[in-house]
Amino acid sequence: MLMSKPKIAILQFPGVNCEYESKLACEQAGMEAEIYRWNSGEPLDTYDGFLLPGGWSYEDRVRAGAIAAKDPLLEQLREQAALGKPVIGICNGAQILVESGLIPNIDNTLRVDFALAPNINPRVSGYYCTWIHVMNSSKKQTAFNRTMKYEEVLPLPIAHGEGRFVTRNKELIDTLIKNDQIAFRYCNEEGNVINEFPVNPNGSLYSIAALTNPEGNVMAIMPHPERAMEKRQVPGFQGSYEESRQHGPGSKIFFSMKEYIEERRKK
Amino acid sequence: MSSDIENQTISGTIPVSDMPDDELSRFLKENSISLTLEEVRSLPEKLGRNPTLTELHIFNIQWSEHSSYKSSKKLLKQLPTESPKVILGPKEDSGIVELGTFKGKRYGIVVSHESHNHPSQVVPYEGAATGVGGILRDVLCMGAEVIATGDPLRFGDPFGKNKDRTRYIANAVVDGIASYGNAVGIPVLAGDVYFDACFDDNCLVNVVSLGLVKEEDIIHSYVPKEAAEEEYEVVLVGKATDNSGFGGAAFASLILDEEEAEINKGAVQVPDPFLKNMLIKATRRAFEVIREKKIKVGFKDLGAGGIMCATSELGSAAGFGMELDLDKVHVSMHNLPPYVIACSETQERFAWVVPKSFTQELLKIYNEDYDLPNIAEGAKATVIGKVTREKNYVLFHNGQKVCDAPIDEVTSGVLYDREQKPMEWNEKDPDIPEPVHYKEIILKILRHPTVASKADIYKHYDTEVQGRAVFRPGEADAGVMAPLPDEKVGVALSVDSNPKYGRISPYWGAVNAVFEAMRNVAATGAVPTAITDCLNYGNPEKPEAFWQFAEGVRGISDAARKISYYNTDLPVPVVSGNVSFYNESAAGKAVDPSPVIACIGVMDDFSKARGIQLLREGSYLFLVGERKHELGGSIYYEIHGGTGSSVPKPDFETAKKQIWSVIDAISTGKVLASHDISDGGLAAALAEMAIGPEGKGNLGVEVQLNDDLPTSTVLFSESPGFILEVSPEDAREIEKVFSRHGVDVFKIGEVTSSQKITIKHNEKEVCSIPLEEAKEAWLNGLSEALK
Repeated sequence: MLMSKPKIAILQFPGVNCEYESKLACEQAGMEAEIYRWNSGEPLDTYDGFLLPGGWSYEDRVRAGAIAAKDPLLEQLREQAALGKPVIGICNGAQILVESGLIPNIDNTLRVDFALAPNINPRVSGYYCTWIHVMNSSKKQTAFNRTMKYEEVLPLPIAHGEGRFVTRNKELIDTLIKNDQIAFRYCNEEGNVINEFPVNPNGSLYSIAALTNPEGNVMAIMPHPERAMEKRQVPGFQGSYEESRQHGPGSKIFFSMKEYIEERRKK
Repeated sequence: MSSDIENQTISGTIPVSDMPDDELSRFLKENSISLTLEEVRSLPEKLGRNPTLTELHIFNIQWSEHSSYKSSKKLLKQLPTESPKVILGPKEDSGIVELGTFKGKRYGIVVSHESHNHPSQVVPYEGAATGVGGILRDVLCMGAEVIATGDPLRFGDPFGKNKDRTRYIANAVVDGIASYGNAVGIPVLAGDVYFDACFDDNCLVNVVSLGLVKEEDIIHSYVPKEAAEEEYEVVLVGKATDNSGFGGAAFASLILDEEEAEINKGAVQVPDPFLKNMLIKATRRAFEVIREKKIKVGFKDLGAGGIMCATSELGSAAGFGMELDLDKVHVSMHNLPPYVIACSETQERFAWVVPKSFTQELLKIYNEDYDLPNIAEGAKATVIGKVTREKNYVLFHNGQKVCDAPIDEVTSGVLYDREQKPMEWNEKDPDIPEPVHYKEIILKILRHPTVASKADIYKHYDTEVQGRAVFRPGEADAGVMAPLPDEKVGVALSVDSNPKYGRISPYWGAVNAVFEAMRNVAATGAVPTAITDCLNYGNPEKPEAFWQFAEGVRGISDAARKISYYNTDLPVPVVSGNVSFYNESAAGKAVDPSPVIACIGVMDDFSKARGIQLLREGSYLFLVGERKHELGGSIYYEIHGGTGSSVPKPDFETAKKQIWSVIDAISTGKVLASHDISDGGLAAALAEMAIGPEGKGNLGVEVQLNDDLPTSTVLFSESPGFILEVSPEDAREIEKVFSRHGVDVFKIGEVTSSQKITIKHNEKEVCSIPLEEAKEAWLNGLSEALK
């Protein structure tokens, strides 16, 4: 029997602005995607996975992601995440997942352990948009790294003013390492983590670019894989038209989600 | 509206025809109306009676320079606006140029170009942000998806006597642009920045925006003809109206007075990118429904002149009248006078004209589906009136009829013949002895904030959102994007105008602005397809300033016609534009004549686009465009304290052939990198190619130039030209492309692994600059100027 394509809901909170390219990214990785208006009232259980796109949900009122984290829709999302469905929050979506306690959710209490603080950048204050490198720093397979090797390096763009993962309790880092929850770390092109600007573009603790929950099905990632779906998008790319349209580095994360969903279905 | 209200006569007329001059002057001043006495005295004839206060305010705005183009309109008629590539010329809120036909559908690139100079000088953050906000509405309201912006900026001297204010303005303008565009999610594709003392009291903040639309989906800014048969309503959408920006159009038409700056702040609007984002989403949904159901509508942005200007133009452009009840306008302040409700420039608003049968569905999209009233205080969509078949513009307020004027009189404006008086430019080229150390001069030029890398500005902007980027600002001479996800087609955008050329010669300044914008587009491989002009000048009531304007328009017209569209004699049409006069301080100091040109390029295959960074050791460097003694307005003269007079005077035929041959050369796929020669001259252009946009270049150049010119002229003259990097095995083929067009191309050197910029002139080495030193200067010049 031919299986239907995995179907992803792109959660469109008021003020987000990456929903259309996020939808396209899912489609380019062979999934279906629908933009789910935050107040549509439709159930979430018909979807196989969820994407919280970047932007300025609720105008970043209070703090980036803070209001959406309290949106009634998040309650439903938690239930879906608990079923093991993949949830990826990109940029503002990552901020929402951290504000909601879904990330890192170390002991499954949804305690808010981390924050995404204003960038520390000696060159450009506030919002900063550039291309950086990250490495897959999780040894275990998660929903998001199945298509890449351990410590594989991906070029991705960042575009944020508050992307610095911080926590009051630095011992948590050890726990995250132990749990293999540090999904991506900023590194240079050769794959060396150098915990200073510009390799670490925002001063993030331990050069963290993305965290997952302990189960590895929820991920908060500050860089934008959906803007790196084709090779042409990577600065400095040279090649024919056909080559320029080939899958870009960010697509690996989306293909991994697809693979993860398909494997879950088989079980 | 009950019929007894509709039938009532006008109330509250002002007896302007009986008032003596001094009394009328006083009355106008008390009411902040800047119409002349003659203009006011012409109103009773147009209206058949004395005007109301509301009508006086309406004509005050409509006859302002900003709204009526009263000084400029006649001259602007000489610009070429037609070509087979034009889908919509400069008639509505934006122009539309053909992108191509894909899967049987013709697509257009929507383009608009505006200035927000005065507001940005007074309150730079809000001024720049609302400048972006306004242009996005202009593009969106054509039925388009907004896909890019470009930001030409002109600031004062960051090291001069107003350096603190200049740096504050520059940083706040960049923040304002970034905060608005980033939040709405529109990538920045292009921009340029000049610093000069002539902008100390008047910065220029222009903004260009591009949209994407299928031709069949275009929505026009006028009432559809179906309104003759069917009842049409006027729906106001967006932020609740307040008094912000009341008189903004009139403000834009005044000279900035430092002492009145505090008062003028009231004329600047308040930006709300969050609401704009939601309005765009909801409007996108409205477009979908309208297309599905094939409903005929009109849609217009509310900009200068607010509700009044938008609704009167919606009606008059199609021969209809309007009847609006200002009490139905959702407001956020109580007791606003009718003329403020009608004319304030509150941001984030649009006006629809839709068949009454569709109104409720439209209201539901905004008010329920996208829930405007609950996500942004006071925002909503609401019916404020109807389209009428009588051609009058009628406003009610508190049950009184406060305006009832022939709608064509409201929109037709006034025209003036302004006096022109040529200005002599008497400065001669300075007599500068040949430098002893060229290296020091080159490093100084690279460090100059006008030449230095603009990365510290661009990195505030989201260049990646929407995922269409191919070349970002700084990576190539023009920004390049892939507008359609499944097509090869690429779009390029460049913005240009060198103020110092305009200072020396307003005609050649304009010609060079057009040529450079086209050159930058061609240097990526795209075909210059249309241009827009944002004409920033001084006070048109001064004959010298108006002459500068006239010369600028003549220059644009000549260049757009004579540097004709690729392989044809057709012009590169002007599809959109804006005139910004009164860029003058109270002390009477005007900005340099600044006709800022945006050029839109189209290319069949975006993957063939080329950037500026050198790619391959051992490849050849070719120079297109002979070096001449054209140092007037150069950075070289500037760092020696002069402007000079020998402005570049390109020959149109040569300019055209150079552009065509560069396009053809790049389309072979055999050009590795390409850069135009402009600010700083040949030496700066070579250094920039070696350094690379992010300073990641690791190759050097070894160049050998042989001619009879002084070395300083060869290195620093800003004669237009290109440098191309080509592999040795492809050199013959590229040379053939140029010879086919009869264009001279000179092999001037090679790319080396030595990481040095080495230049020899007539066999003598004149400089050998370690790449690291060049990088240090070029990458830090801007941040040193803006700290």
